[in-house]
Amino acid sequence: MTESGRRADTPFLTTRWSMIAAAGRAGTPEARAALSDLCATYWYPLYAYVRRRGHGPDDAHDLTQAFFARVLEKNVVHAADPSRGRFRAFLLGSLKNFLANEWDRGHAHKRGGGTATLSLDFELADERFSREPATPLTPEMEYERNWALAVLDRALARLESEYARRGKQTLFATLKPALVAAEDEGSRAVMGHALGMTEGAVKVALHRLRAAFRESLRQEIVDTVGPGGDPEDELRNLITALGHPSQAS
Amino acid sequence: MTQAGTQQRCPKCGDVLGAGGSCARCLLGLGLGGDSGPELFVTGAKESTPPPAPEELAPFFPQYELVELVGRGGMGAVYKAVQKGLQRTVAIKVLPADAAKDPAFAERFTREERALARLDHPNIVDIYDSGIAGGLYYFVMEFVDGANLRQMVRAGKVEPKQALSIVSQVCEALQYAHEEGIVHRDIKPENILVDRRGRVKIADFGLAKLLGAAQTDLTLTRTQQAMGTPHYMAPEQWEKPAEVDHRADIYALGVVFYELLTGELPLGRFAPPSHKLQVDVKVDEVVLKSLAKEPALRYQSASAVRTDVDRIAAAPPTPPATELRRGCVGGLLHRLAFAFNPAPNPRKKLYGMELASNWIPVGLATFLWYSAWLTDSFFLFLAAFFGTILLVRNVK
Repeated sequence: MTESGRRADTPFLTTRWSMIAAAGRAGTPEARAALSDLCATYWYPLYAYVRRRGHGPDDAHDLTQAFFARVLEKNVVHAADPSRGRFRAFLLGSLKNFLANEWDRGHAHKRGGGTATLSLDFELADERFSREPATPLTPEMEYERNWALAVLDRALARLESEYARRGKQTLFATLKPALVAAEDEGSRAVMGHALGMTEGAVKVALHRLRAAFRESLRQEIVDTVGPGGDPEDELRNLITALGHPSQAS
Repeated sequence: MTQAGTQQRCPKCGDVLGAGGSCARCLLGLGLGGDSGPELFVTGAKESTPPPAPEELAPFFPQYELVELVGRGGMGAVYKAVQKGLQRTVAIKVLPADAAKDPAFAERFTREERALARLDHPNIVDIYDSGIAGGLYYFVMEFVDGANLRQMVRAGKVEPKQALSIVSQVCEALQYAHEEGIVHRDIKPENILVDRRGRVKIADFGLAKLLGAAQTDLTLTRTQQAMGTPHYMAPEQWEKPAEVDHRADIYALGVVFYELLTGELPLGRFAPPSHKLQVDVKVDEVVLKSLAKEPALRYQSASAVRTDVDRIAAAPPTPPATELRRGCVGGLLHRLAFAFNPAPNPRKKLYGMELASNWIPVGLATFLWYSAWLTDSFFLFLAAFFGTILLVRNVK
């Protein structure tokens, strides 16, 4: 995700998903770059979905690569109407179609499995997948949950790179745990001591960090909802997708 | 999630933390939150802070639309909300933030959610869901569109007939819960709701004592907290909290019953209900038996209370005693008679005899008055005396 984080500096004049959609069947280099970038961010939920559908690691590696090869090279975007759907739903829908038709590993291989369209770190993904706790969630629910986590990772990475660009890595690293933690005067004093800042300055810095994070998160979500989409609604969906806290017990 | 127990959890929402040590739910919630984020109501900067506004809670309940705050009490605040998917109205009960920090309070909450989850009865508020969100314990319950008994008593809306119906339904629910091994331990008018169709729903099995869960009880008794609402607590809840059983609920029900009928609490040497309003004197016995100090002398089951209450409700309406007393000269005299004995023993069953004994001073006075100047005063006295006896019989 850090790689995509570094790439996230580029300003987005329009949402990437709507840009991809606008490019349509013909495709433009920008649109393809944007699609590739989005896929690089959100491939893990798709990979985990393939695994949850019962494919072993090797099969899943091939199927995932083949799927992206198809999405990126054959430009299947036009097959869906992006203005009506979110990127999240579009990818899952396409993947389901793909799995239904490309169930045969040999077939998948022929379709592009093994030829790396995207550089995907399967080793890391397998390790992460093996750490996923057993859940009663369906593969679809698990996909949505992983998607929500990917959105969050990406928003944080984007924020981090923004702070790094301004030479404020230490500030970001120190304040990040306090993004959602209930900070009080004491914890602000501790952070201030570490940063050589007054408590008041820490308070202001935290306020700015939260505002920047919200913006980063919003931007990330805007990128994946269609032009008419409601980012706030998508955010609520993502929170819901994380599952109920009590389900975690 | 089976591994959850070994994983780090977010101190605010209780969710399992991600690899980065931060809470995804709270972070995403921040995206929805106001300027200062969710800590607005989690830090508990002020003691006994007011309950959060619906819009402050909204980020933590994305699947619900929070409509308004509908009530608050010692055990938390209650919000009316709409479950988006099913479009059903629910009540979300949220514990105060400062209470969530207290492990004992959290334990009581957990007890309440478990107790409620075990109960399934038309007269008990259903629980749909529970957990911890935004650092606040909550549960989602059936929304009862109506009023609680406290509001009804204050509004003076409870007729004796309705009181009998309410008590009967409460008995039914209590009997069910007691059979399930659950004692409410905090029956009071605030916890008894009546919907618009007159159906009773008991809420807040919060202090429920799970019979047999002795281990948990030890920790609670260790705190030496007198739990419950003082006026509705059975004597043994004060004196021997460890020995409390379902009969404590029957005592509390007796208090509620008395209050429903009279609008007052049965404190000190209280008058039986039939002395205060037009109601069958048999009601007095039900109330007094429920309020017996010794649990062994009380009704031994809620169903026994219900049997008696239903019998009274089904009986043909007895002549309204109070009306008789109020409506005639005899009524005036009756009051005069009671002036000599202002605190009648309500437990005395030979009520007619007692009334008669109260009339003796009146009779004597009449006799003396007439005997001073009339020869046939003796007959007048006899007439007055027997008239009195007849009246007393009618009254009874």
